[in-house]
Amino acid sequence: MVRLTDYEQEMLDGKYGKLKKKAMENIVQYANVLGAEELCEVTKAHVFAGAHSYLHAVESDDIEEVISEMQFCSKEKLSMEKVGCYCQTDCGPMDPIKFKSMGCTEAEGIKNKEYLDYYSKFGINKVGTCVPYLTGFIPLMGEHYVTSESHAVLMMNSLFGACGNADGLEVGYWSAICARIPKWGNHIMENRKGTHLFNVDCEIKTKTDWDLLGYTIGRFLPTHSIPVVQGDLKSIDIMYLKYFYASMATTSGPEMCHIVGHTPEAKTLEEAFGGKEPLEMKTITKADIDCSRKLLNDQSEGKIDYISIGCPHLSIGEMQQVAEFMKGKKVARDVVFHVWTAASIKALADMNGYTQMIEESGAIVLTSSCPLTSEKKPEKADRLAFDSGKQAHYIKPSTDAPVHYGEMEVCMQAAIDGEWRLI
Amino acid sequence: MASKVYKGRGAIPGVIEGIAMVSKETIQGWAGVDENTGKIVEKGHPFEGMSIAGKILILSGGKGSNGWSCHFHSARVRGIGPAGFVFPKMDSRTGVAAVVTGVPTVTDLEVDPFIAIKTGDRIRIDGTNGTVEILSE
Repeated sequence: MVRLTDYEQEMLDGKYGKLKKKAMENIVQYANVLGAEELCEVTKAHVFAGAHSYLHAVESDDIEEVISEMQFCSKEKLSMEKVGCYCQTDCGPMDPIKFKSMGCTEAEGIKNKEYLDYYSKFGINKVGTCVPYLTGFIPLMGEHYVTSESHAVLMMNSLFGACGNADGLEVGYWSAICARIPKWGNHIMENRKGTHLFNVDCEIKTKTDWDLLGYTIGRFLPTHSIPVVQGDLKSIDIMYLKYFYASMATTSGPEMCHIVGHTPEAKTLEEAFGGKEPLEMKTITKADIDCSRKLLNDQSEGKIDYISIGCPHLSIGEMQQVAEFMKGKKVARDVVFHVWTAASIKALADMNGYTQMIEESGAIVLTSSCPLTSEKKPEKADRLAFDSGKQAHYIKPSTDAPVHYGEMEVCMQAAIDGEWRLI
Repeated sequence: MASKVYKGRGAIPGVIEGIAMVSKETIQGWAGVDENTGKIVEKGHPFEGMSIAGKILILSGGKGSNGWSCHFHSARVRGIGPAGFVFPKMDSRTGVAAVVTGVPTVTDLEVDPFIAIKTGDRIRIDGTNGTVEILSE
């Protein structure tokens, strides 16, 4: 059984109110399920907020009834309270302003706003993005955090040395309220050593190369393992790594991935493995990468209806790239082209003139969501394309239409041409 | 013939009998389980098209979204969730799923459940005492 400090025991006993008590009960049960011996203090929580569709399981218009059951596992109706650590929101189910242009109704928009405003009253910042590390949520080495975004765990653990597990949906709210989480898994530095070695024996230069490398490693990675990647990876860039880790967390479930010579707990191969031998070794070849591309890109061509880029959300530099590419060009008639980013990054894009350059082409800049989390795509989407392995992979089961995958420039050109061509 | 009983660690208390769905290949959360129908929608998964409602799921772990748990949670609230879980080794995704569904859960089994138990076997799991019993194969 988990050991508690006096303060944690008081929270559990209800000294600080019903919600903290319920949050602690859940955290203690979670700790015991995992086999954790103690809890640790959480400083930051990145939570999945908004009127997401999975919440509809509770047939009620009363937000507190829904939150009580779906976030706190409580049959008794509870009210939110001021959060106990820094909190900001992950992607929501829609753009909070331009939701109608992505097919949401007025009623859905109002409901979503109601949820976000409710959470905001208790100290959860409305940031609405899957890239917390680009928008003010940067946990440092040894700092304990919680997030509902799978690739953000890989980014913040592997690159910053911060401590989190892939558990942040309901747990995000429990931790936000009581600022505690089981000291287990990646919250203990000794548990973060590599288990499997991936030697990269092919050229990795572009954003798409990194995206496909992550997707490929994930395809080969056994459950509960920690990959260590080595090779000629000089092209490494944090903006490429967001795709690399997003795709890896799609085809597998790692929470930590060392890159030898680049990530702080893997200055050398020996350090990455903690002096132990890898359990398995695998060489990643061009054929493996090509295979991933084929899996993601339907092998057909023809008229296209829907193109979406910005998974994970685009950085300001990427918004600049899109603006420069689309400047003076026109999206083909009958094509819907969505460009996704965070609201704060869009504000910068507005200021720099990038939003205007993109939207003058007929593309639509949207924030705070994506096709996957919104579960929305245009009514007529008989052929779709994405520049993200994660998005292409997850959208496939929801449609009978061909789903394509390719470089951001290839996707943008397809939006202009109104056609997807096989290269 | 005496039924086989395997020892493990009880994670969520309670006893339940049901049909086992066994897959070493885990299920992705997002676009893996349709919480409106309880059916597995992950393309190419051995369980594609099968329903988790009332079944005892035996999986190697979680993958994909950190929201792995919410799909099982949502299905449970709709009355079409799994009846129990067996995880050979706990991870953060499966740990939360066990807590939020609250169904009997056994982990750290003394045998490899992917060898010992097959899909379709009728089993009884005891999350209080940490046992898995095969009632009929």
